Amino acid sequence: MNRVMASTRTFNFFPALYLGLSVTAVLATTPVDAENSDILARGAKSWSENCARCHEMRDPMEFRDDLWRPIVTHMRVRAGLTGLQQREILAFLQSANNRMPEPRGNVTDSGVPTRSTAATDLSGAEIYQQTCVACHGQDGTGAVPGAPDLTAADGPLAQDDGILLRHITEGFKTPGSPMAMPPKGGNPALGGADIQRVLGYLREKFGAASQ
Amino acid sequence: MKRSSRKPFAVFAASIAAVALSHDVFADATYDTLKSQVDNLQNQLREVKDQLKAQEKRVNDADVYELRKRIEQVSAQSEEWKNADSVVHLAGYGDVSYTDGDNQNGAVSAVRFNPIFHYQYRDLIMLEAELELELEENGATANNLEYLTVDLFVNDNLALIAGKSLSPLGQFRQNFHPSWINKLPTAPPGFGHDQAAPVSETGLQARGGLPLGGNSRFINYALYAGNGPILEIVGDEIEAIEAEGRTSNDDDEAVFGGRVGIIALPQLELGLSGATGKVAGEDEPNATRSYRVFGADFAYHWRTLRLRGEYIEQKVGSEVASAAPAAAKWQAWYAQASYRFAPTNWEGAVRYGDYDSPHDSSDQKQWAVGVNYLFSANAMAKLAYNFNNAANGSAADDDGFQLQFAYGF
Repeated sequence: MNRVMASTRTFNFFPALYLGLSVTAVLATTPVDAENSDILARGAKSWSENCARCHEMRDPMEFRDDLWRPIVTHMRVRAGLTGLQQREILAFLQSANNRMPEPRGNVTDSGVPTRSTAATDLSGAEIYQQTCVACHGQDGTGAVPGAPDLTAADGPLAQDDGILLRHITEGFKTPGSPMAMPPKGGNPALGGADIQRVLGYLREKFGAASQ
Repeated sequence: MKRSSRKPFAVFAASIAAVALSHDVFADATYDTLKSQVDNLQNQLREVKDQLKAQEKRVNDADVYELRKRIEQVSAQSEEWKNADSVVHLAGYGDVSYTDGDNQNGAVSAVRFNPIFHYQYRDLIMLEAELELELEENGATANNLEYLTVDLFVNDNLALIAGKSLSPLGQFRQNFHPSWINKLPTAPPGFGHDQAAPVSETGLQARGGLPLGGNSRFINYALYAGNGPILEIVGDEIEAIEAEGRTSNDDDEAVFGGRVGIIALPQLELGLSGATGKVAGEDEPNATRSYRVFGADFAYHWRTLRLRGEYIEQKVGSEVASAAPAAAKWQAWYAQASYRFAPTNWEGAVRYGDYDSPHDSSDQKQWAVGVNYLFSANAMAKLAYNFNNAANGSAADDDGFQLQFAYGF
């Protein structure tokens, strides 16, 4: 009797499973544009929100682009991410490996190009919301482990513009932090003027002058 | 007088002669020096011209063309590994532990190596496999296939997974147990092998995520059908539920279950798990009885603070045809907090756990307090002390400390 009931249950289960899969399968897979700054920003946000739920944040530049592929696929299975989240996180991590090209033209003592061009028409606040907020948080105090407190009097903003511009542009690992900020926060679409604008916003919003 | 008037003249003439002579000598020395310098310069100029000629000879249009072609080839090769259809990746973790307790000798008590292999074909299929190689007390090496699954990614919201997988019930066994992730050297009471939490399952799973508006809020799910566990029956009691994936199904009864998690806030995940089916003892496959699992879990992180908790229970019903006819229940729960004192690499961890089984001798309550040092995000040293409360005289009642080095790769 038990055997019969179990068989019936099994018979009912698989059609239900098949129906569920069929309904789900109609949802199309959406490709992502790895150059799109919105996608990179969403990838950074998903990465910061989901990876830390289980383990310490790994450095976005820890692995080569080809190695990030199976790693992120594996994490999709483990964390139950959507395929879109997987591709956006992968796009962000791979963009983090893109180093800044050699500066052209005159440079300051700190190595920052003196003449820079804007690659976007976004304001500093918009760039912050798009690219930086995932890790640094709305209040600038850091949303993920290792992100420094931008509002601290002796925090990063206590340093000169030249140093900060270089750190933002080339990426930087805060001493003691388990991970590094990728170049341009992982958004290679940003130009030099963009970075200067976002630094201006940081100083205005979180710097000592705003307090 | 005459003689004296001639003397100045003689002196003057002699001076003139001396000056003339010295001038000639000086002029010769200067000439020689200048001539030597000019010769050297000419030689150097000749060498520079030769070098320029050599360079001109080396670099011509054909060379530039070849160089460009070579750069294109190298660029294309550099993209090969990046865009290859099939990729292979080795991950995993390992740890070494030292344990010392009230009634046991201090010893290196665990040496483990868990390589994980990933083989991915495009974004369509991934094969995942984890081995566990563990040194035993007698020096031999135990090996175990922790999991092996073939994952087929049907679409953005669904992956079909076949094989032996970590149990999707709860969070600890499937996500938190690797030593480089676990903030304490030990598993919570009841979350080890053959205790309250199922460890693994062999069967078919449907896993994925569904967005809940925006990218930060979503549901993850894992639904499965598997061979299910078996009961270890000793005398007239059920000793344990062996809830580990097997390739046999002697009772011909499947187990169905799953977990649904909701990420309502970006830093918070809440999950509910359940399973149902039939189980039987290994030597009495026809004496099947009901099998139920229920679990609830949460995980929260804010900056360097992590809070985790989980409850799990497994129940089997009574079965008169069995040598162990009585129903039985295993349950366990834990709550854990860890905090890293940024910007230092030091971290504190504390956990309370409670495990109840049908056998009082196995029950355990435990406070675990630990200090960790994170060498990096994937390597840490853990020192923890366990305050245990269990049956008097049992090993589970021994207080003790563990020192563990764990590395994930």
